[in-house]
Formats: sequence, structure tokens, C-alpha cells
Amino acid sequence: MRPLTPRRVFTICLALCGVLFVAVVISLRVGAYPVSIRDIVMTLVNATLRRWSEIPPDFQSIVLNIRLPRILLGILVGASLSTAGAGFQALLRNPLADPYVLGVSSGAALGAILSLIAAPHAPGLIQAAAFAGAIATIAAVYFLGRRGGQLDSGTLLLAGIITASFLSAVIMFLMTTLPGRDVRGMAFWLMGDLSSPSTVDLKWLYFLLVIAVGSIYTTSSDLNLILTGEQEARHLGVNVHRVKLVVYVAASVLTGLAVSVSGAIGYVGLLVPHVIRMLFGTDYRLLIPASALGGAILVVVADTLARTVVAPTELPVGAMTAIAGAPVFIYLMRRRVR
Amino acid sequence: MLVVATAGALLSSAAPMTFGARFAARSGTLAKDGRVVTDEVGRRVVMPAEVRRIVTLAPNLTETVYALGLGDRLAGDTDVCDTPAAAKQKPHVGNPQNPSLEAIVALHPDLVLATTSINRLETVVALERLGIPVYTSDPHTVRGMVDSTARMAELAGAGDQGAAVVAQLRRRLDALHARLAERPMVHVLFVVWEDPLITIGQNTFIADALRYAGAESVVLSDRNWPQLSIEEVVRLQPDYIVFTSDHGETGATQLADLRSRPAWRDLDAVEMGHVVDVSEEAVRPSPGLVDAIEQLAHKLHPEAFSAENAEPLVACDARAGFKPAPTDAREERTSCAR
Repeated sequence: MRPLTPRRVFTICLALCGVLFVAVVISLRVGAYPVSIRDIVMTLVNATLRRWSEIPPDFQSIVLNIRLPRILLGILVGASLSTAGAGFQALLRNPLADPYVLGVSSGAALGAILSLIAAPHAPGLIQAAAFAGAIATIAAVYFLGRRGGQLDSGTLLLAGIITASFLSAVIMFLMTTLPGRDVRGMAFWLMGDLSSPSTVDLKWLYFLLVIAVGSIYTTSSDLNLILTGEQEARHLGVNVHRVKLVVYVAASVLTGLAVSVSGAIGYVGLLVPHVIRMLFGTDYRLLIPASALGGAILVVVADTLARTVVAPTELPVGAMTAIAGAPVFIYLMRRRVR
Repeated sequence: MLVVATAGALLSSAAPMTFGARFAARSGTLAKDGRVVTDEVGRRVVMPAEVRRIVTLAPNLTETVYALGLGDRLAGDTDVCDTPAAAKQKPHVGNPQNPSLEAIVALHPDLVLATTSINRLETVVALERLGIPVYTSDPHTVRGMVDSTARMAELAGAGDQGAAVVAQLRRRLDALHARLAERPMVHVLFVVWEDPLITIGQNTFIADALRYAGAESVVLSDRNWPQLSIEEVVRLQPDYIVFTSDHGETGATQLADLRSRPAWRDLDAVEMGHVVDVSEEAVRPSPGLVDAIEQLAHKLHPEAFSAENAEPLVACDARAGFKPAPTDAREERTSCAR
């Protein structure tokens, strides 16, 4: 592996931005309604110049109001999940760590179902409840996973798995026993879905994303040292406890953010950081930004497939990330073994 | 050059576009000369001056549109809309739970019809934000279905013909009530799903439909679709077991099947051959439901419709009532309901 220079970080991130851009253009281009590249450029240029009347109403609806918000949501969710995954993996020094293994998605789904029971027709509440559920779960897992005042990787993972299965059982119990409740939306929370993004305000979500990814990024040199061993890191002057807390909180916020707008899209947090490691090495100064971009690419591509392969019906994007992600993961793993 | 221009447009246009609902208001001006109505879930719907293109998001709504003689105004329906046969030829917008928003937009509907029993609130909200009027129906009783049909007839401009269809539905229900009111209720087990055994709760429109057919569900549950154990069925001992003939099964084949099953074969109803099928219209809140009620009433109370009880009230096969051409369908319906 070549030594990591700022130039190399910049080059790789720029290349990933290029791939993301291509994915975005393709995603804007394909779908149930035919739109040419020329139409897209025309629509976007006119939108930038605020010449709304120049844009045909159909393109305004389909390109600007349906496809673009969905793509932006996909980028947000992908970047959040994969950065959170990278963070948790460093924190627990365990390659299996992933927001979903830690029970966060079940917590978010439980929050969502509770809000559906309490106030089924209040838009926005369900997102807030899912976010609260995710954060509460991850806090509970954090306290359950401590042993002798220290975060213990094995205990934490076990606490997460147990919490996840407990919460899933509670969800099943609620779904089968509640009288006449509308829990149809629940399936989408459990599978992950980007099809109705218009109820959330992306501005604040992006703001939170930048803050949380930024905080994890500031700890990346320390994370590199912690990965070689906590004792060693401590001897080198790293405040291990503080770093762990920052990463844990930021990764939790990122996961809650993603799950609250899209449900449980699996595999992204596990897959993307591993692929980035296999391609570009394990240095967290590169791994964090590259994972964010890689996650965005994966989710945008997966969602494009989800809404086109059996169009006009849409598949849950979570199914696509798993179907598309697992073979790639296995290929990279086998190649590295050889 | 093109790439740079598009990238610039994308980045700068992203901000105003998604970070607010200003686009929705823009496209909403289409309906400025229409009136505002409140739908059955209390949402305000800005109706266009004239409804020329309707998109339905559920099979029962598609049937309702055809029954009202508005088949030629149906611009699109869902993948699962199979009745009448002509509905299969219409452009599809995906499945009811996750339709493609852009496929709906591309059909340029003046009015989208949705229902709480199968569609999701998220879909309704997203369409509303795109400036497309969505009327959501929410029938819980047979009369509720008729009222809802009347409302949709009026909104879609079905005129005298729509009013006639609705009046006829009311007359037929009154006639059934008059004929069966004095007869003892038959206690039935209505089978929604066999394995696991799912039946109906007392607050569903199906429970109400059973009452019109002179029957009552043996299961009293607040849940809409309670799951039942065979032990409970043995304890309740229904007079009749009612299946829907959605897979081409008849009461006779169901009976043969039940007679081969332990526990089931010892039920009084099975021993006496009291197993009947009813058209799957029975589980769809559309005008065809009244056909299914009449059909079931004839099977459960044959004596009430015997020769000396006069006035032929011919059971209409729900499917026979529909013909591809809307005019035919009307004639069929009229003759059926005489």
C-alpha cells in the first residue's frame, strides 16, 4: 500500500465524487418516465437560473420534485450509514460491527410503530419517533455493553444483538395484537425505502450529516492509533475515552438520521467501509471520507435499480443493497485471500 | 464542459429545490379554479374544474370507477386491478402499497383515488406535494361504501348515471334488509386466509356485509384481521364456514379439503356440508360488494328467496356484471338489480 498523502486522499475522493456524479446523472435519466440527458441539463440549468417557466411541468415534477430529492436523500442515507459503520468498526475493533447489528434499526422501527399507534396521521412525527428510538436503543446498548466501566467490544456486540432481537419481538407482538391499527407502513420501515422523501426537510439532515461526519473525521488520526491497541494509544497521548464517546455519539446520530428517513437499509454500513479498506487501505483519514462517498454511490445505484428493475412497481432499496452488495463483498474478500 | 455545467447546475439547484415545498405550490396552480372538498380522512382536496383523467390506486376503486360508467376516464390503475377485464389493459402505476410517483405524474391525472385499506399515507402526501389532487376513501361499513361511491361519483362528474347506480345499490340493500330482517342470524366463520387462519373483526366492512346477508361472524374481535386457532373454531362451532373463491375454489372443493383435515372434519358445519364460497368481491369495498352480499344471502337463506317468496332477486355474478365497454356494464347492472 502506498503511503497516504493529502494528495492521494484528495485524488481518491475526487475520483469517488466523479463516480457519484455519473451515478446521479444515470439515476436522473432512467425511470418509468423517459427523460433524455439533454432534458436533464436543460431542466437543471433553468432551475439554477430560476427560469421556472422555461421548464415543462412534467420535467419539473419528475426531475426536480421526484427524482432529485430522492437521489439527495439516497446520498444522505448512504453517507450516514457507511460513515457510522466505519466508526463503529473502529470503536469496537470488530469487523462485524454495523449499525444494524447493534440493534439501532430495530429501535428506530419500534419508535416508528409507536408513533403510528399514537398518532397515525401526523407527518414528521414518525421520523422524530424513529430517530428517538434509534438514539435510545444505542444509548441502552452502550450502557449494557460496558464492563468494569470500560466499553468491551464483545459485550457490546452481544448487548446489541440481544437488544435487536428483543425489540423485534416487541414489534411482532404489537403488530399482531393491536386492534385495527394501520401498521401497513411498518413493512417499509423494516425493509428500508426511499420512495416518499418529500415529507422531510433535507436541509437540516444534511447539516447534521456534515457535523457528525466532521466530528468522526477529526478523530481519524486517533482512531488509527486506537486500532493498533488502546494501551499504546493511551501511551501516545490519545484521550481514548473522549475519542470513543465522540465517535459513538456521532455514529449514533448518523444512524438515527438515516433510519428515521428511510427505514432499515441494511448492508451499507457493513459493506462499504470493508470495500474501501480493501481498495485503498485502512487509514481512517482516507477511510472516513471515502466511506461516506462510497455509501452514497451504493445507495444511489441500489435505489435506481430498486425503482427500475420491475417498474412501475418499486422494490425496497434494502433488498437491492443486499442483493447487489453481497456478491461484491464476497468477490473482494476472495480476491484478498488469494 | 457539459459535465461541469451539469455539476454546477446540480449543486446550485439542489438547494432551493428540495429544501422547501415551493415547487408544490407552483404546480398546484393547475387547480386554481376548482373547489375545495374534504375527503374521508379529513384532508382538504382542491378539485379541478372538470375531471377527465382519473388514476386509481386500489382494485376496489378501479371497480367503482367502472361501475359508475367512468371507465373511459380511467387513465391508469395498479398492477393488481383485474376487474373488470378492461382494467388490465390500462397503464399501470405499480402496486397499491408502493406505486411509482413518476408513473402517476406521467399520466397527468386530474384526480387520484386512494383508499385507507391498502394505500399508504406517504403516497397521498407525496402526490399532494406534487400538486395532484388525491381523494382518499375510508369505508368501514356497507353503507359507508355506498356513500363513498356516491361521493366519488359526484366528484368525478358521473352525473345522473352515477346517481342512478348509487340509488340502485341502496334499493338492493333495503330489499335485502326487508327480506332477511325477521330471519334468525346464521353464525358463520369468514375465512380471509387459511394458513394461518385469519378471520374478520367486528369493525370491518365485511362483518357489516355479513349482517346484510343475514349472517354474523362468530368471532368478536376489535382487531380487523384476527388470527384464530383451530381450537377456538371448534369451541365456537360456526353454523357455516364462508370462503372467498379467489383461487377458483368452490364451496364443494373447500368442503372436500376440510373433510380430509383433522380437527376441521369434526366441526358440525363440515359434517353437515355447510361450507360455502362467495365471490371475492366480498372483500372489496366497491359496488360489486352488493352482488357478493346477495350471492351469500341466497346461499345462507335459500328459503327466503324461494318461489313463493315471490319477486325474483337474481343473484348476479359479480364478474358477469362487468363488460369492457362501460355502456354494456351499465345495462348488465340495471338488469341484475331489477
